[in-house]
Amino acid sequence: MAEVLRREVVYLITAIITILMFIEFFFIGTWNVAEELRTWATIIANISIALGAVRLLSEHAKNIQRRRAGVWPFSIWLWIIFLVTLLSGLAGYVIKQDAMTNPLYNWLFTWPYTSLGQTLYAITGFYIFSAAYRAFRARNIDAALLLIAGCFVILTNAPIGGVIWSGIPVIGRWFLDYGQVPGMRCFLIVAAFGMLAYGFRALLGRERGFYGEVAGE
Amino acid sequence: MSEEELTFWEKLARIDRRVFYWILFIGLMIPFIRPIMFPISISPSTRDLYEGIKEMVEPGDVVVMNIAFGVSAWPECMPAFVSCAKLFIREGAKIIIWGSYYDVDLTYEELLRRAKEDFAKLKYGEDYVYLGYYPNMEASVAQLGSSIRSIFSTDKYGTPLDELPMMKNVDKATDIKLVVSGDTGDCCDYYIRQWRIPYGVPVAEIGIAMLGSSYMPFYKSGVLFGMSVGVRGGAELEKLIGEPGEATIRMGAINISHILVIIAVVLANIGYFASRGKRR
Repeated sequence: MAEVLRREVVYLITAIITILMFIEFFFIGTWNVAEELRTWATIIANISIALGAVRLLSEHAKNIQRRRAGVWPFSIWLWIIFLVTLLSGLAGYVIKQDAMTNPLYNWLFTWPYTSLGQTLYAITGFYIFSAAYRAFRARNIDAALLLIAGCFVILTNAPIGGVIWSGIPVIGRWFLDYGQVPGMRCFLIVAAFGMLAYGFRALLGRERGFYGEVAGE
Repeated sequence: MSEEELTFWEKLARIDRRVFYWILFIGLMIPFIRPIMFPISISPSTRDLYEGIKEMVEPGDVVVMNIAFGVSAWPECMPAFVSCAKLFIREGAKIIIWGSYYDVDLTYEELLRRAKEDFAKLKYGEDYVYLGYYPNMEASVAQLGSSIRSIFSTDKYGTPLDELPMMKNVDKATDIKLVVSGDTGDCCDYYIRQWRIPYGVPVAEIGIAMLGSSYMPFYKSGVLFGMSVGVRGGAELEKLIGEPGEATIRMGAINISHILVIIAVVLANIGYFASRGKRR
């Protein structure tokens, strides 16, 4: 019975919701039944954020309890930062209905979080520069063509490209419009058909990964 | 093979990656110390974004600015997003701001700070509102299209939407003139699928440079009425609205970094062919 509940009921709920959404999108326009279901979905998503936080904390609590080598000090740090952020945000919300009004919460986001976020993103530039030197080799005709097109597109994106030679942006844009766009369009259409097939397989209960099951289980 | 037996080109191919990091670091410093400016041409997608807003938006129209990028993407998305907000204000549009990125509050505050003079002319609740964060991505975007109040019963500060003058007759996608979505991911897809296709609401994209290739087919087919790509798009918009700013300055760094990448690729390939010739 539990097995039936675990699988067939989940399949059934997925199938019913899919059919309702399908009917709304293609035949009705706006339907209050579908609207209600979407509101539920948003509420469930909110609950899942809280569940995710609880799960994260419990996993890190286990790391601390078991003194997992190389991990547990970071787990303590995660707990500290989590609690400080949560409590300072809640304090701001309780007092002035806005978490950002709490000075500590505001400071955490404005300085450490913003700086770290932007630094992490910027580091990829350095990585790409080093990777370009090591990986972009014209080992065969295909790679050479890719390399030449890439160089033109890179110089098209930088204003200096047009200063070096006015033909660079023209050729670069040609690569973008007649090389990249048709390729991407093809990829998008094929991916959409793939999603359709995946959707039907999920609806028929054949796509086990969709239901969080492991293949062959 | 010992280090002494290596040829010049083979040694060049084995340069430590930290050398590249330092070259790029020093190279990127130059334009901030001494700005290097070259004329910026306007790409068709950015021009269409600018002209689309100018043509479509009438005073009093309600537009949506969707924030789907975090602080890490401020350097790329923020200049174009700020320029768009300024353009909306000049056209007399009423702006709804919301977002699907968890640090949306920071981006909203930053938007207000960077366009301080323009927002100072407006009155909160009458000319613009901030509704905050919505989770659950596409399902929420679909629901926002059929009823904004089912996702946001109040604005970010707890005021019921019915008490905000500009929101009195606004609840559905059909009440919105157009949407501009600032993205690092695929949030614009949701607005295309859930607002553009069923309701016909015009959608435009402000994305990081990487998204240029993903959304170009949508722009070319007319699904997106305009598109700003990366810092370059921001600089183009700044030029179009006549306020060169952060993105225009950053184009100096873009010039240096792109030229360095090209030099690195050329050197690497010369080394590759030279060492391959020697092996033969």
